[in-house]
Amino acid sequence: MEETSLRNRREDERSIQSIQSKEHKTTSLQKEVGLLSGICIIVGTIIGSGIFISPKSVLSNTNAVGPCLIIWAACGVLATLELGTMITKSGGEYPYLMEAFGPIPAYLFSWTSLFVIKPTSFAIICLSFSEYVCAPFYSGCKPPEVVVKCLAAAAILLITTVNSLSVRLGSYVQNVFTAAKLVIVAVIIISGLVLLAQGNTRNFENSFEGAQLSVGAISLAFYNGLWAYDGWNQLNYITEELRNPFRNLPLAIIIGIPLVTGCYILMNVSYFTVMTPTELLQSQAVAVTFGDRVLYPASWVVPLFVGFSTIGAANGTCFTAGRLVYVAGREGHMLKVLSYISVKRLTPAPAIIFYGIIATIYIIPGDINSLVNYFSFAAWLFYGLTILGLVVMRFTKKDLERPIKVPIVIPILVTIVSAFLVVAPIISEPALEYLYCVLFILSGLIFYFLFVHYKFGWAQRISKPVTMQLQMLMEVVPPEEAPE
Amino acid sequence: MAEDKGKRDSIGMSLRGCRTNNGFVQNEDILEKELDLGSPPDSAVAILGPAEPALQGIRPYAGMPKEVLFQFSGQARYRVPREVLFWLTVASVLVLTVATIAIIAVSPKCLDWWQAGPIYQIYPRSFKDSDQDGNGDLRGIQEKLDYIASLNIKTIWITSFYKSSLKDFRHGVEDFQEIDPIFGTMKDFEDLVAAIHDKGLKLIIDFIPNHTSDEHAWFQLSRNRTGKYTDYYIWHDCRHDGGTTTPPNNWLSVYGNSSWHFDEVRNQCYFHQFLKEQPDLNFHNLDVQEEIKEIIQFWLKKGVDGFSFDAVKFLLEAEHLRDEAQVNKAQIPDTVTHYWELYHDFTTTQVGMHDIVRSFRQTMDQYSREPGRYRFMGIEAYGESIDRTMMYYGLPFIQEADFPFNNYLSKLNTPSGNSVFEVITSWMENMPEGKWPNWMIGGPDNARLTSRFGEEYVNIMNMLIFTLPGTPITYYGEEIGMRNILVTNLNESYDVNTLLSKSPMQWDNSSNAGFSEASHTWLPTNSDYHTVNVDEGEEEIHQDSLPGETKT
Repeated sequence: MEETSLRNRREDERSIQSIQSKEHKTTSLQKEVGLLSGICIIVGTIIGSGIFISPKSVLSNTNAVGPCLIIWAACGVLATLELGTMITKSGGEYPYLMEAFGPIPAYLFSWTSLFVIKPTSFAIICLSFSEYVCAPFYSGCKPPEVVVKCLAAAAILLITTVNSLSVRLGSYVQNVFTAAKLVIVAVIIISGLVLLAQGNTRNFENSFEGAQLSVGAISLAFYNGLWAYDGWNQLNYITEELRNPFRNLPLAIIIGIPLVTGCYILMNVSYFTVMTPTELLQSQAVAVTFGDRVLYPASWVVPLFVGFSTIGAANGTCFTAGRLVYVAGREGHMLKVLSYISVKRLTPAPAIIFYGIIATIYIIPGDINSLVNYFSFAAWLFYGLTILGLVVMRFTKKDLERPIKVPIVIPILVTIVSAFLVVAPIISEPALEYLYCVLFILSGLIFYFLFVHYKFGWAQRISKPVTMQLQMLMEVVPPEEAPE
Repeated sequence: MAEDKGKRDSIGMSLRGCRTNNGFVQNEDILEKELDLGSPPDSAVAILGPAEPALQGIRPYAGMPKEVLFQFSGQARYRVPREVLFWLTVASVLVLTVATIAIIAVSPKCLDWWQAGPIYQIYPRSFKDSDQDGNGDLRGIQEKLDYIASLNIKTIWITSFYKSSLKDFRHGVEDFQEIDPIFGTMKDFEDLVAAIHDKGLKLIIDFIPNHTSDEHAWFQLSRNRTGKYTDYYIWHDCRHDGGTTTPPNNWLSVYGNSSWHFDEVRNQCYFHQFLKEQPDLNFHNLDVQEEIKEIIQFWLKKGVDGFSFDAVKFLLEAEHLRDEAQVNKAQIPDTVTHYWELYHDFTTTQVGMHDIVRSFRQTMDQYSREPGRYRFMGIEAYGESIDRTMMYYGLPFIQEADFPFNNYLSKLNTPSGNSVFEVITSWMENMPEGKWPNWMIGGPDNARLTSRFGEEYVNIMNMLIFTLPGTPITYYGEEIGMRNILVTNLNESYDVNTLLSKSPMQWDNSSNAGFSEASHTWLPTNSDYHTVNVDEGEEEIHQDSLPGETKT
């Protein structure tokens, strides 16, 4: 019963949205993202700093060039499949979990995602941006923490401000940085191919020699590889802003992800053309080493453009991150005010500001990298659950309208892979942190029962004036639904 | 519609029966009601906090739509904080950016790896034997990397391991691009480099550009006057009748007697600064300089992080071949056979020598571009005057060595405060401004610290080099206070005295001090290894012993 109503409502919304696009602007998220911007968001968020750094970790887990390239390709296929199976819902995994398993898993997902997965990745991307920018001033040693953090905080605040001011400005910034990023990717690929054509194929001979094929190593290699693909599900979050989503969303995925996969493989080939596996493993930042070797005396372009690329990725995260809060807030699983929309700017300002604040808090303590490693396990737990939900719904809700129906084998396969990715590292390298992570996820239940399930009066008495005052302060209102 | 609404709310929790506080979740419903504006909000709003006297009788409430919002949000008490917060955010972006730039501008240039930690010099034949032949080798060093890392060493300096024909495996290189078989293979070396880098350590190696072994292919080709190799060495006509050679001039070898040796194959004399088995390369020949450059590149490509250039003051000799002046003018020229009996104005530190060293530096700079991959250049300038030593630091605009090794401390033979003070001040006062000092406490060519000063001074000297500004350079075994071995019947024909400080590293109190499982080691282990060894040191680590000290 609940699920049907949810579905009805979504269908209502869809029809409303399609009407809205032709009519006057109401206070709701505007459909300002076209196909090109959609692809840009996919490419822009996926190609963050990952491909400039991750090749090292993937290689160190496989130990040979051949399997390393295969992992990169497999990650791309996995990302496409996973994304392909769950398109068309705004808010990413949330509505799937909601429909398949009910409110508690959905709530826990939004809880973990809101407080940890998304803000930490936002913070991490900004930190790595800052590291890349500061590094040239400190050749030979690590830049002082305070410098890196200052700049990262500035980046977070700037991105947050830009995105709360205007959707158009946000996506414009995104397009510019994506273009910059594609330039450097093209430069690396082309110079690599030129060198390859000149006969630098030494590192591709016997490319499977010494390959390490343990289960744990492969899953860790996948983790690291997929980290470079992280962001593949971002587009789900902005379905509502996409013009003509039924056509543009699948197109954006079908064009975007293979584009990224192709780039990644070619970039790895370029790296291996210039560096032996050992050299690659010992390089601090692979792309920078590549630049130093190949592009001298213009090697400075690499750190500069990697900086652009990372800040573009951060912008993309922020651009989409707000939407999850928005959806969860709309369902009453988060403070409603987070789902409100700026009256004058038509942006989900509260959600974006919330992200900015949490991310800024996360960059203050020492090292959050390790934390994020363990929470990527949490992320995969939820991805896996989502796909499982998809499989479940195939049987429980046969009548559901599905714009794209993928063969059932694919979601089952992806579920198995996700389960593998969640379990394998725990078995091969058990660590207490996984337990802490699970405990954190479950601790969300406390708030769930206090605020959502039982709705104690006193909880409401706190949240309402807060909501009201915040509304006044930020000039935000609930998203209006056009007159029916 | 009403039913639909009910379902919607039931996603969270059914609200029927909750009379007073249904405002929150029902916001969206209210919203729809509010579309026809003007009707006052329902009773749920009454519990809200302080409200302004309502315009048109409406008070703000949670979840209000824009029409209601606009009546209140324009008030100064909301507008002003909003504006203030916005501009604060913009300001903090600017402040943070400016702060970043300021800190970057103000913060001192960071220490490079060769400045950031001590250098640990290893004589590879005596460090650790991995293949039970009684000789230390590269694999042995690799086995002991954990120990080195535990001393908080940043840089490992392995002395000459090139394929060599001389018995001390140091100065007569047969092939600059090969590892001597007793130390292992090139694969071993590559593995060692990778392992060192994996631990975050750096590796510098010896390089001896001045001469080769007489077994070197170049020399063999040169003595046959083959092509470009003809002038690779310093050949000169000399008279040779019935076993006695009349050298072209009075130049002497470092080890005594004439530095010219007659070669019967080529029927000429060749010049050697050291032994006759070590003919000097002709650095006036550009082909030789090119060869040396290629060798430097060869090792840099292998991942070596720096070189210690040996004996560079001997690189060039005057081409006019004039006799050098005697120290004692009254001495009969024929009796002048010792190196110290001449002023070496024409055989050392010739004009152009520094240019060659700087060209080495330029070659290394081409490999220093990657961040964190700066290639270090050290120069052994032992036995030169302090101002000549300082020349190796380069000129203000021409970079040369990162530092010439400062071995003045390792040459002190008595522990006297004054002499230590003199050594330190002479270096610090003569060093060009902005350069980086360094302090060596021992080395393969000097007696062990314990043997020079006595064991009670070992701690203090170790402490001294770690507290002085600059890079401390220590020699394997000095951290545990190893002692020179006593002269015994060494089965080595070449200068016994230089071997005394090269005895096998004392790891533990098992046989051969844990250095080797062979029955015979190339040099005897010092007999004190039962008490002086790494194991003992680690046990005493909490009692203020030596290895603890190296941990800065």
